[in-house]
Amino acid sequence: MQLSTSPDPTARISIRGLSKFYKDYLALDRIDLDISKGEKIVVLGPSGSGKSTFIRCLNRIEPHDSGVLMIDGRIIDDRTNLTALRGSVGMVFQNYNLFPHLSVLDNCTLAPQLVRGITKSDAEATARRYLSQVNIAEQAEKFPIQLSGGQQQRVAIARALCMNPEIILFDEPTAALDPESISGIVGIMRDLAEQGITTVCVTHEMGFARHIADRIVFMDRGAVLEVTPPEEFFTAPRTERARTFLAQMIRH
Amino acid sequence: MLAATLLALAVALPAARALADDLPSFVHDGQLTLCTNPTLPPMTFVNGSDTNALAGMDIDLARRLAAYWHVTLIPQTMDFEGLFPSLSAQRCGMVISGVLRQAGRLRNYDAVAYLDSTVVAVARVGTPKIREMADLSGQTVAVQSGTSYAAQIERENDRLRAARRAPIILQQYPTEDQVVQQVLIGRVHAFISQDVELYYRQKQLGGKVTIILTPDYPDFHQFAVYIRKDSHDTALLQKAIDELSQEGEIAAMAKKWGISGDHQSVFTDQKAPSRFDFTTFFGALFSTAFLKGAELTLVIALLSHLTAIAISIPMAMKLNGRDSIIRRLLGLYVAVFRGAPTLLQLLFIWNALPQFFPIFREHWFTPFLATWLSLSINESAYQVEINRAALRAVDPGQVLAADALGMTTAQTYRHVIFPQALRIALPPTINEFISLLKTTSLASVISLQELLAVTQIQVARTFQFTEYYAAALVYYLAMVFFFLFLQKRIERRFIWADRNKASADAA
Repeated sequence: MQLSTSPDPTARISIRGLSKFYKDYLALDRIDLDISKGEKIVVLGPSGSGKSTFIRCLNRIEPHDSGVLMIDGRIIDDRTNLTALRGSVGMVFQNYNLFPHLSVLDNCTLAPQLVRGITKSDAEATARRYLSQVNIAEQAEKFPIQLSGGQQQRVAIARALCMNPEIILFDEPTAALDPESISGIVGIMRDLAEQGITTVCVTHEMGFARHIADRIVFMDRGAVLEVTPPEEFFTAPRTERARTFLAQMIRH
Repeated sequence: MLAATLLALAVALPAARALADDLPSFVHDGQLTLCTNPTLPPMTFVNGSDTNALAGMDIDLARRLAAYWHVTLIPQTMDFEGLFPSLSAQRCGMVISGVLRQAGRLRNYDAVAYLDSTVVAVARVGTPKIREMADLSGQTVAVQSGTSYAAQIERENDRLRAARRAPIILQQYPTEDQVVQQVLIGRVHAFISQDVELYYRQKQLGGKVTIILTPDYPDFHQFAVYIRKDSHDTALLQKAIDELSQEGEIAAMAKKWGISGDHQSVFTDQKAPSRFDFTTFFGALFSTAFLKGAELTLVIALLSHLTAIAISIPMAMKLNGRDSIIRRLLGLYVAVFRGAPTLLQLLFIWNALPQFFPIFREHWFTPFLATWLSLSINESAYQVEINRAALRAVDPGQVLAADALGMTTAQTYRHVIFPQALRIALPPTINEFISLLKTTSLASVISLQELLAVTQIQVARTFQFTEYYAAALVYYLAMVFFFLFLQKRIERRFIWADRNKASADAA
């Protein structure tokens, strides 16, 4: 698939020539990608390939150095209102990053109150609804330290949902979890995708990649090497790097 | 009638002008300011439990001089070592504090003598008399620091060394009563003082000590009023003291305070029991003087620490940030104020600052403000390290999560970083506060009437040091225990950090 040189304003996310440097090190190398509304993208690649850096550029937690990033037709650069951007692009982290000093409920209501200016009671009603959706409503009054890893990650997803985002970025959400918790989280991610939220997920969870992703983005050394539907990627990868990567994944 | 008025004017006008012309330069704005260390009865001390009620021969003389010049006397109390620096810093116009007229001091100050005196060497009762100071060879002798007895003993030691004999071992203490205590408890062989002081201490010392020598030192014969060098001022002061002397007023003061007669008669054989006096102890414990002293200690410590915390938080954030000129300057600030002794910083701010900036000489710059300023600066240099460690201990993922939720930097600090850093910073901060609470006792050197200063003044008056020290100890411990209790209570609120406690709380 050959993309035009200018970004596509009708796409949810449109990326052209996106590059990022850490001093002299090229972390992202001229990435081109269009993601349409409601699409489920899984980013695969060996560690150090720039996957996390890439999705952190999408909500500008990491600012890119060159190229164009467009979300819903708006260019994202150093003049962008970050509060508005991050309200529409949620993020879930590998280590959950819940606020340990706040209860589960307060974790979910803090940002909506501060950033969106929603009243406490409205924020709590929304929070309880999303906590039920991730099957953790009964833990609302507890502190994060009292929950298991899988439970904490559910809270983190509910916290992101409370901002009513159109896009959610998952940065290896299951990497720190045991297999049983993983299936729970994967289930929740599948439900979200079905609700039409655009998701971009960095993961090593092949089940999710194979059965739920609309497209696989394969990265190596900061560059995107393949963008293909999962059945094609897993059965007939086009590049040698992807074949080596898959061989290693299967062995594990 | 008119003639009478004219005559009155003719008499009054030159008199008024003469009065203005005759005022020494250190008397101005209708005030005569006095620096004194009120721990030397009967010359200058606090008579009673009110630490502001100064009394003694020196205080009477100062009041009389103020009346003589038709101005108000403003006395300031401080440690002995602080007297001459304060005079130089123009914090006061004159020093009257049982200070002897001596050649060494006359190089930098002018002095006018007002009372004759004699040096005495005093030891515990039963100690045999000696013939000369050299007989104290190899013995330990205590003197008040800042006095010239130390230099005198050094001169004796030079002679002893020349004669290949062991020198006199010298110990110096900040107050006269501590000097005397060393003899009473038997740590030192003898102390050096003036006879007038012994007259007054008769009641406390009766039967416990004896004069073993009255050495004839020419430099130790007269108590003097000290002023900054100014020949005109000295002449005016000399004139005033001469007039008071001729009118017999100075002799009357000396008599009032029992400074006369044969000093051997002082030591009668009243054997006083030296047990712990509970009446004195409880009296001190519940006295307004101690309560006020403790209140001042608590207030100055709280204020200084709150100020230190307020300035050290932005400092810590800057120091944890990227390299810059400001960061390097802050690093220097921390190094300097952690490196220099707190006592030195207090003395510097109180005594040296007015020499650079005359504004700090004015009356608004009280010992309280000076203590607050120096303890805040000093404490901020320690607190900043606690804050830095606490801020660094907050997981960087927290900032990432707050960023991803669209929170501003201010919101992130207020709602995410500070609450977590507080838990980490609290125990070392309370620890610092307890340390600071005790450090406030240093402020007695710049005349702040905090708990230890009150204690020392009471000890100087009564000599019942065990009882007063015990009362002070009770106050310090009560304050410290209260803050330790507070720390436990606050830590209980951080259940979110402890899985077991949090679960127990939920259950």
